[in-house]
Amino acid sequence: MHSISIKTIPGIDEWREHARLLLANNIPPDHIIWQGDDNAQMNLLASDMPVFSVDKQINFKISAQILDMINTALCHNGPCRFDLCYRLLWRLKHENKNLLALKTDNDVLAFQKLVKAVRRDAYKITAFLRFREVEKDGYPYFIAWYEPEFFSLELKLDFFKTRFKNMRWSILTPYRAAHWNGENLFLEDNPDPALYPKDDKIEQYWLTYYASIFNPARPKKNAMMSSMPKKYWKNMPESILINNLLKNSQAQAKAMIARDQASRQKSDEI
Amino acid sequence: MDYDKLKIKLEILSDAAKYDASCASGTAGKRKASAQDKKGIGSLTGGTGICHSFTPDGRCISLLKILMTNNCIYDCHYCINRISSDIRRARFTVQEVVDLTLNFYKRNYIEGLFLSSGIIKSPDYTMESMVRIAKSLRLDHGFKGYIHLKTIPNASPELQAEAGLYADRLSINVEMPTEISLAKYAPEKDQGNIHSSMNKLRDKITEHKLDRSHSGRKLPRFSPGGQSTQMIIGADPSDDKIILQRSVQLYNDQKLRRVYYSAFSPIPDASEVLPLKPAPLIREHRLYQADWLLRFYDFQLDEILQGTKDNMLELHHDPKMAWALNNRHVFPLDLNAADKSMLLRVPGLGVTSVNKILSIRRYGSLSWHDLVKMRLPLDKLKPFICVRDYKPPLHLLDTAHLSEMMRKPEQIELFG
Repeated sequence: MHSISIKTIPGIDEWREHARLLLANNIPPDHIIWQGDDNAQMNLLASDMPVFSVDKQINFKISAQILDMINTALCHNGPCRFDLCYRLLWRLKHENKNLLALKTDNDVLAFQKLVKAVRRDAYKITAFLRFREVEKDGYPYFIAWYEPEFFSLELKLDFFKTRFKNMRWSILTPYRAAHWNGENLFLEDNPDPALYPKDDKIEQYWLTYYASIFNPARPKKNAMMSSMPKKYWKNMPESILINNLLKNSQAQAKAMIARDQASRQKSDEI
Repeated sequence: MDYDKLKIKLEILSDAAKYDASCASGTAGKRKASAQDKKGIGSLTGGTGICHSFTPDGRCISLLKILMTNNCIYDCHYCINRISSDIRRARFTVQEVVDLTLNFYKRNYIEGLFLSSGIIKSPDYTMESMVRIAKSLRLDHGFKGYIHLKTIPNASPELQAEAGLYADRLSINVEMPTEISLAKYAPEKDQGNIHSSMNKLRDKITEHKLDRSHSGRKLPRFSPGGQSTQMIIGADPSDDKIILQRSVQLYNDQKLRRVYYSAFSPIPDASEVLPLKPAPLIREHRLYQADWLLRFYDFQLDEILQGTKDNMLELHHDPKMAWALNNRHVFPLDLNAADKSMLLRVPGLGVTSVNKILSIRRYGSLSWHDLVKMRLPLDKLKPFICVRDYKPPLHLLDTAHLSEMMRKPEQIELFG
């Protein structure tokens, strides 16, 4: 047994270094215990990481697409991710280089599930993150606080750098912040949530828009909840309106039809 | 200060825009500010736009969807903004729309702007103001986000051509499925006019898609996301056959990217020619499903309408299930042998699951357990398929009440 502990978050580079060495030295997955920072329990049975010969050449390459999927899966916070990704690599090398085509293989299913969950979480950052504007050194500065479910901020930094290239901004998450000054990006661990501004001069217009674009004649709570589950609401200022909008919607729609009915009856009488 | 003027305008002019069904931003290629660009803001990521929020009606908020004004000189019965409607009126200035769009965009609320308008003074006057908004966003502010303009059918071709230079998508509503209904419900609108505007846009869009003009110069982008339209369902007596025939024609002749169906929903202060009750949402849903089968599953219209009563799609079954129940002789289908086009016709299999099945088949064969692991809707599939270790009981497809068995209440999902 070898025990390997990954100290960084999410640990992509660290895992890759280890995986490369382990693969080159032919260490099978069931001989390794992976430990992430988020479950740093020492395994008493495991010996320390042995010294491997580093200059062994690995005659093994994976496609850019699989590498991208592995990097994505490693951003999950599930404790099995390091183990699963290494097992996948091992099986790709020794068993079947087309392993991922076997859509109902248990490892492939578990792996796809991680990838899918992280991709969704990362997409939701680009969707649900909200900036608030402050003034800094006489210029506008935009700050967002966002709590992703996994460690998926890194996957979307290019998106924000491209879209908001000429703005200066900070995105704060519980585990890491990204600061953009228009040219360079700086990462900072465990930022202070108090940096997030208390309000924003435009936000009230956004709330007005959200409430007005909703059609009370056709509420569909389930459809909303499946795309925007409650766990995301804490990131979105408009979510405080939802319960009241739903509560009032049926009454509003009924009142509208009743009003029309009444006015039609009136005009019939005349 | 709490209820300032702009807020009231926004309230009125977004409220008036919510009856428009289309909400997604379409695919219009990729775009971003270049490295030298020190002013530009925004990007198009290539796929369909991001849904930045969802309202309790289940719809996605992707764009700032507003009317420039809800003043209107027309009197279309189904429209809340018609001249005879007793509602609060408002009008945004060009600058106000530009500022709102940029401010919303910078806070990551939206992908861009969806601008529509009532008609003030004249179609040309209205269209010109709308074009000015799009132009200012693009040229003054280097805005790279998404812009959808709902063009005014009677505006001059020059203005429509200019609109295409700044917009990612243009649309003109056909409003009603038939010429007769349009004449009755929208007396100032004319189907001939709407068609000729659509045709002109189609020609421009195709012309600009070619890489070079005759002189070898690269042509500017022109409405790269194509054009779309909207039809109101259930306000007039048109049946589903008439509606879908119209869609097929719009997809084939006018080369539209999308036809949106909007189940008539009662509006405040409704005109008396309209029904009081909303059209069933499930009808709208079935039309979207049929539209999908026509565009992505290689179904023909007469196959979809086969066996329907009064040319109305069945409400209890989705159109693919209805087709399968009418064509039981082609089932059960062997998932390990059938070709892709037939797999796509199995009720319960979508494009993604069909691709997974084909992928597995390259290296082995499918068993019942594989279907379980793929989390396919087994109850729905059961009568129609066989795999390595499963065949439906002989009588299942012949059961008279198979149709009722398949009638399980389904979760409605939106294609919008």
